[in-house]
Amino acid sequence: MQIDEVVWQVINRGHCSFKIKTISQNFCRNEYNVTGLCSKQSCPLANSQYATIKEEKGLCYLYVKTAERAQKPKELWEKILLSKNYEQALAQIDEQLKYWSNFMIHKNKQRLTKLRQMLIRIRKMRLKGFKELIPIKKKAERRDKIREQKALVAANLENAIEQELIDRLKNGVYNEIMNYNTKAFEKVVGQNQMEDEEEREQQELEEEEEDYSDEELIFDPNDLEEDDDEEDQDDEEDDKRLFQKQTFNQLRRDNDEVKDIKKKKPRVQLQYEEEEEVEDRKKQQIAF
Amino acid sequence: MTSVPLVSVFSADDSSKVTAKHIPLPAVFQTPIRPDIVSFVHTNIAKNRRQAHAVNPQAGMQHSAESWGTGRAVARIPRVSGSGTHRSGQAAFGNQCRKGRMSLPIKVWRRWHRRVNIKQKRHAAATAVAATGIVPLVLARGHRISQVPQIPLVVEDKIESYEKTTDALNFLKRFGAFEDVQKVVSTKVVRAGISKQRGKKYRVRKGPLVVYFNENAKLLKAFRNVPGVEVVNVTRLNLLQLAPGGQLGRFVIWTQSAFAHLDKLFGTYRYSSIIKDGYQLLRPLITNPDLARIINSNQVQEKVQPAKTTKVLHEVQKKNPLKNTKAMDRLNPYAKKQRAAAAAAIKANTKGTKKIKKNKALKKASRAAYNKVAASLNDATKAAVQEEQDIKVKYFSVQKGAAQTE
Repeated sequence: MQIDEVVWQVINRGHCSFKIKTISQNFCRNEYNVTGLCSKQSCPLANSQYATIKEEKGLCYLYVKTAERAQKPKELWEKILLSKNYEQALAQIDEQLKYWSNFMIHKNKQRLTKLRQMLIRIRKMRLKGFKELIPIKKKAERRDKIREQKALVAANLENAIEQELIDRLKNGVYNEIMNYNTKAFEKVVGQNQMEDEEEREQQELEEEEEDYSDEELIFDPNDLEEDDDEEDQDDEEDDKRLFQKQTFNQLRRDNDEVKDIKKKKPRVQLQYEEEEEVEDRKKQQIAF
Repeated sequence: MTSVPLVSVFSADDSSKVTAKHIPLPAVFQTPIRPDIVSFVHTNIAKNRRQAHAVNPQAGMQHSAESWGTGRAVARIPRVSGSGTHRSGQAAFGNQCRKGRMSLPIKVWRRWHRRVNIKQKRHAAATAVAATGIVPLVLARGHRISQVPQIPLVVEDKIESYEKTTDALNFLKRFGAFEDVQKVVSTKVVRAGISKQRGKKYRVRKGPLVVYFNENAKLLKAFRNVPGVEVVNVTRLNLLQLAPGGQLGRFVIWTQSAFAHLDKLFGTYRYSSIIKDGYQLLRPLITNPDLARIINSNQVQEKVQPAKTTKVLHEVQKKNPLKNTKAMDRLNPYAKKQRAAAAAAIKANTKGTKKIKKNKALKKASRAAYNKVAASLNDATKAAVQEEQDIKVKYFSVQKGAAQTE
């Protein structure tokens, strides 16, 4: 009691490691402070008789400090468990702090209320589940985005897919499916192609060979609607013709189903070309 | 001002054991806390460790620069002589000039050290020791002492014979002082500024101060390597260690013999110091610093006169009582009743008129009367007008007649 005044003068005028000064107000960082503000009444250092409420694992405790234990920091704070019932807890505070200053009693009750409200909120959040806010780290985001793009380019997906599909073809995964582009076929066999065509081929190959994955679009010899006369599976040339025709059929079917607008137009054009080619060849054959 | 009058001495090996139970506090711990003295003494004493330094006396002056004087459309500052280089003709010598010497260059004979009166220094030391025994001050300074069993912390002399740092560390852990050491370790920062290139790389906090007595003590070496911990002999207590930064309340660990020596060192209120020749501890201005308690005590309140109420001589702004009813009431309290009575009377008089139905017959009669009067008036006026005209006619005709006759 005697030292309180002196202590407050020294701390307030001089330096207190718990004091936080802001433009409008002074706060107290001391863990035992009831109000959180820096003032003579609520300073746990400048009052030898003091009480706080603290929460630990969902339970509220009343911490009491008296002048008798002032020289023993280890035993300074007496810890009293408060009832889980709010009203009973308030009564406990009244009982423990009987004859204490109104300020102390009132502030402790206020703090208890605040802590209990906080606990209720915590419980609610746990039960309801809450959206955890994660900060967006601009730098990291920016960096990752750019790296993703680079990785995409570096991966050479199209080439990889093409290779994979060709390998599958070679391995005979697609048994007896003859639906492929002549040009692609030739490529597989190992003939030279012009670069432009190659690119287009790749695209088309992609399209067509990807289509194989869909069961609907897999060619079934039984599905052929066209003339059987021209089927001649011994001749490679005939095969070619067959392939082309079937491709045409396939493509026609595909056209209806495929939604990619990008590929449609050029494909359509090609079909006509092929048709002409087929017809030309037919004519040739006939000519022969 | 008074701390605990009795102190326990703890066993070095076991913090729960007490080797000596009730030792009286040395009188130093009851010295009045005087932060002003400490602050003054500290600022001055802190200067005493400075080493002389100076700026090269020739710095910035190694030119044969002369002012070009007036008439050359340039400032009159001395300019570097010569030619053939950028530097020629540039300003030199002044503190404002680039590459000029600084104003008031530092000299070695600057007064680096300060002398402080011995008495002041002793008072400061005594206060600092006293503050060591006040828990809130030690906490406010930032030491982590919440697990320390007692302040002031007095331990048996056994620790003076510690040689190993592990012993020292374990000792600190046992007495809850390790938290303070951990604070020091975790807050070690690379210093900002050039000092780090001058041998002061790290900024380290202050931890506990261990005070011993016997000169043969080996604990200096044991505690030397523990970060933040300082070791000092009682006879050489230093204000710069007791109140680092001028801030009271260092966490101090005393050995029993050191603690006992304090009475001889500083003396008590009964006898002056033996060692500090003729030094008497500072006496407080008031023995009980709790002013609020004194003022509110029964003894004082009995003698105190009742509080005076402030007497208001006049209104801040004059209000006209003839217009402002409240002002009137203040002057004449009966005015309120008068007003009420007047109002009642008026109400009584005017009570019927409001409720009379308009008597049509009356109205008619009155109107008739009015008309009659008006008519008579009209007749009168008509008659008058007629008369006037007759006269005029008569006159003019007479005139005409006269004219004609003539």
